[in-house]
Amino acid sequence: MDVIITISLLAILVLYLGLFKAAKALLPVTLVGLLVALGLTFNHWDLANNTKSIFSGMLLFNNFSVAFSALAIISTFLILMLSKDYFERISANVAEYYTIILFALTGIIIIASYHNLSMLFIGIEIMSVSLYILTGIKKRDYASNEAALKYFLMGAFSTGFLLFGITLLYGASGSFDLTEIRNYVASSEEISPIFYAGILLSIIGLCFKAGAAPFHFWTPDVYEGAPTLITAFMSTVVKTAVFAAFLRLFYISLSSVTLQEFWVPVLVVLASLSLLIGNITAVYQQHFKRMLAYSSISHVGYLLFALIALSSASDSAVFLYAAAYTIASIIAFAALMVVQKQVGNDSFDNFNGLGRKNPLLALTLTISMLSLAGIPLTAGFIGKFMMFTGALSTYHTALTVFAVLNAIVGVFYYLRVVVAMYFKDAERNELAVPVYFKIVLVVSTLATIIIGVYPGFIADLI
Amino acid sequence: MEAQSTPVSYLPIIFQMIVALGFVVTTMIATHLLGPKRKTKDKLTPFESGIEVIGNARQPFSIKYFLVAILFVLFDIEVIFMYPWAVNFREMGMEGLIEMFIFMGTLLLGFIYIIKKKALDWE
Repeated sequence: MDVIITISLLAILVLYLGLFKAAKALLPVTLVGLLVALGLTFNHWDLANNTKSIFSGMLLFNNFSVAFSALAIISTFLILMLSKDYFERISANVAEYYTIILFALTGIIIIASYHNLSMLFIGIEIMSVSLYILTGIKKRDYASNEAALKYFLMGAFSTGFLLFGITLLYGASGSFDLTEIRNYVASSEEISPIFYAGILLSIIGLCFKAGAAPFHFWTPDVYEGAPTLITAFMSTVVKTAVFAAFLRLFYISLSSVTLQEFWVPVLVVLASLSLLIGNITAVYQQHFKRMLAYSSISHVGYLLFALIALSSASDSAVFLYAAAYTIASIIAFAALMVVQKQVGNDSFDNFNGLGRKNPLLALTLTISMLSLAGIPLTAGFIGKFMMFTGALSTYHTALTVFAVLNAIVGVFYYLRVVVAMYFKDAERNELAVPVYFKIVLVVSTLATIIIGVYPGFIADLI
Repeated sequence: MEAQSTPVSYLPIIFQMIVALGFVVTTMIATHLLGPKRKTKDKLTPFESGIEVIGNARQPFSIKYFLVAILFVLFDIEVIFMYPWAVNFREMGMEGLIEMFIFMGTLLLGFIYIIKKKALDWE
């Protein structure tokens, strides 16, 4: 499959560029390569939407995969644009960092297009192993080391759960293939109990990777300890990919009514816990990065709504929500990187007075916070709207009311940084915002507003 | 494969495990009961190729050993992929050959990278 091959070859090329001391070419080559991969991705768009699986049924690169791969590639592109001069400050092995990010992206595209559970496992492993390394690239930083070790131990453990789940699904149905598993569910009179255990263990494994409560314990420490650029990558691209995998497994294989009666209550509990824990703990945070880490847990809760209300509309709901969340988070992390680099600390007080000195930075950050909080005319609102409509159409009224209450709590802590920027004065110098950052900030903000005003053009894609 | 497998089908596995465990337990008990017991000081010391043990085995050692060991494992595992290919060499034909060469080429790129990075230089 050409997108996967292109990105892996690009990774090797970048590695060799680093070897032959072409440090200046690293970022441009990576970005151009990603654009080529993006073009190849769109090339797979099939209007009739009856794509055949490839590699003996291992992968199915249909419109769903095209959309999620494109989202992953575009977000990686934006995040890498922020990486100019970033990795050089950590160590001299800059080419290796780009390479590992590209390897992670390869894994992500595999899990957006798998049609066989073994490919799901391989994709998640390619992605996770790369992330364990990336989390710990600040070798002399104590927090980064701790984060890498924690992430590795927790991640390895959760992979075990996922693998065990896949094994049990195989044990009951006799196949790794998603369609075969669906046929097993449809044709057998009595579904084997180990199949249910398999569903539960897969849910646990995937929720671990996505960071849904109560499997979220690694999230705040890992997100805080990892270099900010890597945190941005983990909390946007990786989360989206895990949800694409989640949705694919449940929509193709496990969507029969009898099975839904079994796993929907489980997901309702997970979603409400994620909302509650993510939002309440985020309120008490004093640091911007840690607040974003906790708020990402609550966003997982909202994303789970699409699975609870599983239908053919879930694809576009998850896609829209993930796109909105990703773009807004990239703005937030870009602003965080500027503040962290020049002030050295990311507590809320350090944002005081930013509105007067850095109007562009403050404005874009405000729009991103509004989008994350779900205020109308931003992409975040449309995302939440679609999630809640789905949940209401399947009569999960209590859950929706609970989520709306949580969204109000969310507004409180998201607007805290806005209040600090505009209404609290402080003696400060203007922060220098590099051109690359300005481009990312403006493009992402425009995208947020365009999706918020006219969501149709990406909501109807899949 | 068989569509339905009942618990009875797994009975041979249980027998196998009982026999395996039973053999170990029986021989251990038998040697304990039958053999003469003459304990000397030399017999109770850890045995290492007949050489007397000096100091503790858990000492810090150079990270280079670790690096070389990991790289060895990497290229060792590569061979595992070649066995099934070698067995099915005729069936896979030219296409299989090309695919294997691509795989080997990728590994070669990795190997050149390792050499260039001086990961195998001891000094």
